[in-house]
Amino acid sequence: MSIWNYVVTAHKPTNVTHSCVGNFTSPQDLNLIIAKCTRVEIHLLTPQGLQPMLDVPIYGRIATLELFRSHGEAQDFLFIATERYKFCVLQWDSETSELVTRAMGDVSDRIGRATDNGQIGIIDPDCRLIGLHLYDGLFKVIPFDNRGQLKEAFNIRLEELQVLDIKFLYGCSKPTIVVLYQDNKDARHAKTYEVSLKDKDFVEGPWSQNNLDNGADLLIPVPPPLCGVLIIGEETIVYCSANAFKAIPIRPSITKAYGRVDPDGSRYLLGDHTGLLSLLVITHEKEKVTGLKIEPLGETSIASTISYLDNAFVYIGSSYGDSQLIKLNQQPDAKGSYVEVLERYVNLGPIVDFCVVDLERQGQGQVVTCSGAYKDGSLRVVRNGIGINEQASVELQGIKGMWSLRSSTDDLFDTFLVVSFISETRILAMNLEDELEETEIEGFCSQVQSLSCHDAVHNQLVQVTSSSVRLVSSTTRELRNEWHAPSGYSINVATANATQVLLATGGGHLVYLEIGDGILQEIKHAQLEYEISCLDINPIGENPNHSNLAAVGMWTDISVRIFSLPDLNLITKEPLGGEIIPRSVLLCAFEGISYLLCALGDGHLLNFLLNTSTGELTDRKKVSLGTQPITLRTFSSKNTTHVFAASDRPTVIYSSNKKLLYSNVNLKEVSHMCPFNSAAFPDSLAIAKEGELTIGTIDDIQKLHIRSIPLGEHARRICHQEQSRTFAICSLKYNPSAEEPETHFVRLLDDQTFEFISTYPLDTYEYGCFIISCSFSDDSNVYYCVGTAYVLPEENEPSKGRILVFAVEDGKLQLIAEKETKGAVYCLNAFNGKLLAAINQKIQLYKWVLRDDGTHELQSECGHHGHILALYVQTRGDFIVVGDLMKSISLLIYKHEEGAIEERARDYNANWMSAVEILDDDIYLGAENSFNLFTVRKNSEGATDEERGRLEVVGEYHLGEFINRFRHGSLVMRLPDSEVGQIPTVIFGTINGVIGVIASLPHDQYVFLEKLQSSLRKVIKGVGGLSHEQWRSFSNDKKTVEARNFLDGDLIESFLDLNRNKMDEVSQAVGVSVEELCKRVEELTRLH
Amino acid sequence: MVMDTNRSSGASSFLSDLPSRGLFSSTVVSSNPGGMRVYVCDHETMPPEGQHIKTNQQNILIRALTLGLKKQKCDSSSKDGTEGSRKRASDKGLDGRASAKRANNQINSLQEGSTSQTFNKDFHRLTVERLRNLLKSKGLSTKGKKEELIARLKDATDS
Repeated sequence: MSIWNYVVTAHKPTNVTHSCVGNFTSPQDLNLIIAKCTRVEIHLLTPQGLQPMLDVPIYGRIATLELFRSHGEAQDFLFIATERYKFCVLQWDSETSELVTRAMGDVSDRIGRATDNGQIGIIDPDCRLIGLHLYDGLFKVIPFDNRGQLKEAFNIRLEELQVLDIKFLYGCSKPTIVVLYQDNKDARHAKTYEVSLKDKDFVEGPWSQNNLDNGADLLIPVPPPLCGVLIIGEETIVYCSANAFKAIPIRPSITKAYGRVDPDGSRYLLGDHTGLLSLLVITHEKEKVTGLKIEPLGETSIASTISYLDNAFVYIGSSYGDSQLIKLNQQPDAKGSYVEVLERYVNLGPIVDFCVVDLERQGQGQVVTCSGAYKDGSLRVVRNGIGINEQASVELQGIKGMWSLRSSTDDLFDTFLVVSFISETRILAMNLEDELEETEIEGFCSQVQSLSCHDAVHNQLVQVTSSSVRLVSSTTRELRNEWHAPSGYSINVATANATQVLLATGGGHLVYLEIGDGILQEIKHAQLEYEISCLDINPIGENPNHSNLAAVGMWTDISVRIFSLPDLNLITKEPLGGEIIPRSVLLCAFEGISYLLCALGDGHLLNFLLNTSTGELTDRKKVSLGTQPITLRTFSSKNTTHVFAASDRPTVIYSSNKKLLYSNVNLKEVSHMCPFNSAAFPDSLAIAKEGELTIGTIDDIQKLHIRSIPLGEHARRICHQEQSRTFAICSLKYNPSAEEPETHFVRLLDDQTFEFISTYPLDTYEYGCFIISCSFSDDSNVYYCVGTAYVLPEENEPSKGRILVFAVEDGKLQLIAEKETKGAVYCLNAFNGKLLAAINQKIQLYKWVLRDDGTHELQSECGHHGHILALYVQTRGDFIVVGDLMKSISLLIYKHEEGAIEERARDYNANWMSAVEILDDDIYLGAENSFNLFTVRKNSEGATDEERGRLEVVGEYHLGEFINRFRHGSLVMRLPDSEVGQIPTVIFGTINGVIGVIASLPHDQYVFLEKLQSSLRKVIKGVGGLSHEQWRSFSNDKKTVEARNFLDGDLIESFLDLNRNKMDEVSQAVGVSVEELCKRVEELTRLH
Repeated sequence: MVMDTNRSSGASSFLSDLPSRGLFSSTVVSSNPGGMRVYVCDHETMPPEGQHIKTNQQNILIRALTLGLKKQKCDSSSKDGTEGSRKRASDKGLDGRASAKRANNQINSLQEGSTSQTFNKDFHRLTVERLRNLLKSKGLSTKGKKEELIARLKDATDS
C-alpha cells in the first residue's frame, strides 16, 4: 500500500444520538429529525407512516441538536452544535428545497477544560437565548434580539464545576436555568439561576433543592401550565418547582432517554439502560401537581433518544441496537407488553470487532461484525452487491441467448424458456410437477440458432432466426405466418416487442415489420452505410406494446443512432468515440426518465438521457462495468424495472432518487440473463453462466446487504477459522439480577447457520480480551487462541490473565493448553509459527513445545518491555507494530539468532491509540481516540540512529469516527484485470456503525483526485457554513494541523450527485471532461 | 396476580387519549431505508451579515468590574453625562488640523470660565498632538514630553 490514501464510507453511521419532532420543512409538515453523529436525517410524518426526505452530511460530530421556534416565525429552525465547538442554525427553504444557514459561529474558548459529561446545548422556551455548557465552570449565552437575530455570545461563570444536566425552565419572566450538579462530596443538588442579559451574569433563581438521589442524572423541564422540573434519579423521581415538591421511589434503573408525550407535559416516556420503556405521569388538579406515577410499558432497544411522533407511534433511537418505530397499545399483549415494534432500522454500532471472510467462496469479501451492546448485541453479516438465491440449475454449455414466453397473451406467468445455442434452439417449460423439462413449440424452427423471441399480441409468439421471422400461435403452437429474408442475405441481429420486429441483415439493411393477427407485414426498409451491431425497440412510451423509437448500434463509424418508427427516419446520430463497437443497446425508463444505455465490447457502458419526443440524446456518461462485452436486459423485481448487464462482472443498473446506480451481482460471470416469472418460481431470473443454466430470485436491489444474528449478549471479539468452518467469539452476558452481573464466554458458531455449537465459560471476573485462529510450527493442527484478563474489582490494572489454546474437535471447543500470564492479554498474533502476545506493558513471545507425554505447552521465549499498555499489535515478517495506550505507534523487530525483540523506531507523538494496521513494509496506519487517522513511515535510510529510530508522520486526517478495528480486505469482488482491482484496501469499523474503506492509490491518481477534491470544496459547501477543510484537519488536545495524504472519498464521490451545471464547473476547474470525471469517480465507488 | 391485573389496567388508563394529529392513521407502510436522498449542498452557506457569531473575548472578571463601574457611574447622576459629552465634542474637534483653530477657541473659551486646576486636568486629557497644536498657536516650542508640553502651556496661560 502507499501513503496516498483515499478514505470512503461503505456503510454510513447508524448510531442514533439525537432526535426531535417539529415543523421544519413547512408550517404544515411535521418532521422527525434524527442525528446519526455526522449526519442528520429529515423524515416527514404522514398518515402512512414515516417518509424519508433527506440525509444531510454535517462537517462535524453533532454534540447537540434542537428545534426551536423563533419569534414571529411559522416554522421551526434547527440548532446544531458540533463537538469541535462550531454551531449553526438551519432553516428549510421550501421553495428551493434547500437548507439555508440563518446563523453560524465558533463557540470555542481559548482557555477552558472540556466538560466531562458531554456538551449541553439548550434553547430558552421563549426563545430569548441559546445556552451552552462546553467547558467546566462556564455557561455560554448566545442572546437573540427581538427580531430573532443572534447577537454576540458571552460567557458567564458557573460556580458548579461538576454539572450533570442543565435545562431551561418554562414560564419564567426572565430566562431561568436549572442546574443539576455534584459537589465535591459527591452529593447531588439542583439549583436555579436567572440569566440577566443586561448584566451578562446570573442572578439567584427562584428555588434550589439539595441532597437529591445520588444517581440523579437527568432533568426534564415541564411546560406550562404546570411548569417546574422533573429530576430523574436511579431510585427516585422528583418533581420540583418553586412551590411544590413531589417524589416517588422507582425500581432501580438508569434512565437514558426521555420523550414528552403531551404538549402540556403531563406524560413522559422514559427509556432505561436495560431497554425498559416506562410511562411517567404527573397527576394534577388544574395547575397544582398532586403526584407522580410510573408504569412499565415493555421492552425496546436500549434507547438513546425517544420521540413521540403521533397517534401512539414513537421513535426509539438507539446507540446499542437497532432503532425502532413502536406503537403503544392501550391493551397489553399476551406477555403484558404495551409496546408493539413495527419497524427496526438497522444499526451496526458500536462495531467492537469484525472479520472479513468469504463464506460463499466466490471471491467476494463479507464483513462479519460484533455489533451492539448489552442485550442488543448481535453479529451482522455485511455483504456488498446483490445476491442470487439459486432455486434450480442445469448443466448446459454454449448458451447463445435466452427468452421467456407466455402460453397466452393474458397469462400472468411465463411458461416457456427458449434457450438458443449455436446450431439449435431448445425450449424448456414448467410441467405439472413444477419441474423444468424440455418441450417443443411446433411452429418454431429448432435446428438453428434463434436471434430473438418474444410474446406477441393475439396469443402469438415470434421467433427470429438467421433466415426468417416466424409468427406462431401460442395456443396451437403452429406457424401462422413467416417472413423470409431476401435471398443472399441473412439476418444478423433482431429484436422484437409485442407488435413490432426490427431486424438487420448483412449489408446494412434495416427492416421493420409489424405484427397483426396472423399477419407479419414488412412496413419499412432502410439501407444504412455500415453494418449494424445491435438493435432495440423496447417500448418506453405510453403504449407498453409499441415503440416509436428504435436504437441502432453501428460497426465502422462506432455510433449509436435513433430512428423513428414506423418510417425509419434517422433522428439522432451519436458518435461514441474510440474503436470499440457497441454490443448491446437498450431503451429504458426509470422513475419516469428515459435513458438509452449502450454497452461496448470492452465492458464499458454509456448512458444518455433520451428525449422520447425528439429523440435527442444528452448527458452522456460512461462507466466501466467489466472487461468483456455486455448484454443488457430489463427485468422486474417488486414492481420496479431494473436492467441486468450480463458480462464478466454482472451488474444491476437501477435508479434511486433519479440517479442511475450500479450494483454488482454476486456471481462470477454471466453470459445471458432473462427474466423468467413462472408460477413455480415467481419473479425469478434465468441466468446462463459458466456452462450452467440457473434459475433464481434476486435480493432486494440495494448496495449493501446486512443480515442480523441477534445474540442477546455482547460479542466483543470475533475470528473465523477456515478449516473448521466456524467462527469463535468472546462474549459477555449481562444478568443484572444475578450476584455476578457479567459472565464471559468463548463460543463457537457454525459459519453458515451462526448457531452456537460449543461454549467455554470463563472464570469469575475473567474477561475474554482477544481471539485468533492460528497454527504453530511443527504442528499441523489449527487452533483458536484466546487471551483473557482477570478484572478484579480491587485492582486498577489486571495483574493476571490466561492464554487458552482450543482445538475444534467434533464441533466442540477442546482446551488443549493454557498458560497463565502476569497481566491482561490485550492482543495475540501468530508470529513465525509461534504466538506473540501483548500483556499489559509487555510484548511476549511464546513457542509451542511438544512435551514428553505428547501434549503441547506454550513456553515463554522472549519479550520486550517499554509500553504503557500495549493494546494493539500487528506483525509482518519479523516486524512488530505496537499501538500503545498513549504513546502512539512503535516498531519492534524479532531477532531470530539472538532470540530477542528490540525496538527499532517509534513515533514520539502522544497519541492515544484505538487501532493500528500495517499498510506495507514501511508504512503503518493508526487511529487515535480524538477520531483522527494518521500514517507513519519507517525511515530506514536515515543517516543517524536518531533519524532511523523515529517514525515519521506522513499522513494526517480527521475521520470523525472512533475506529475499533482495521482489517485488510475488500467488500467487493476483485477482478484482477480491472484498474480498481489492483488497489489495496483496508476496512475499518467504528463505534457509530460505520464500515469504511481506506484505499492506497497510485501517486498520479492521488494527485488528480486531490485536485478534484479542492475543486469540489468550492462547489459543494458545508451545510451550515461549516468548512470541509477544518473538519478534515487532524485535531486532538495537542495540535490541529491540515489534513495531508488522505482524501475524503465521500466528498469526491458526491461529484456524481451534482447537477450538470455544477459538474461542468468542476470539470473546467480540473481541466478534465465531465464524462471522464464521471467514469473515474464511478470507478472509485466500486471500491466499496 | 391481582396486583398484576391492577397494574396493567393502570397503564391502560394512562395510555388513553394519546395525542394525535391524524398522522400514522392509515395502515403504516414500511419506509424504504435505502432510498433516502443524500443532500448535496451546492449553494452558498455562509450566514447573512452579522449572523457569524463570535464570543465576547473580554475576561469575565474585567467585564464584571467594568459593568459594575458603569452601574456606579449611572448612579452618580448627571455630572458624568456632561463630562462625557464634552469629551465627545472635543474629540470631534481633534479630527483634523483644519479645525485646530476652532478647537483652540474652544479651549480658550474654556480657560476664561475655569480655574487653573481644571486647565491642568483638561490639558492632561488632550493628546500630545493637540497640545503641540496649542503651543504652536501660542508661538511656543513644541518639543519635549507630554508633561513638559503641559507645563509649558500652563506657564503660558497662567502668566
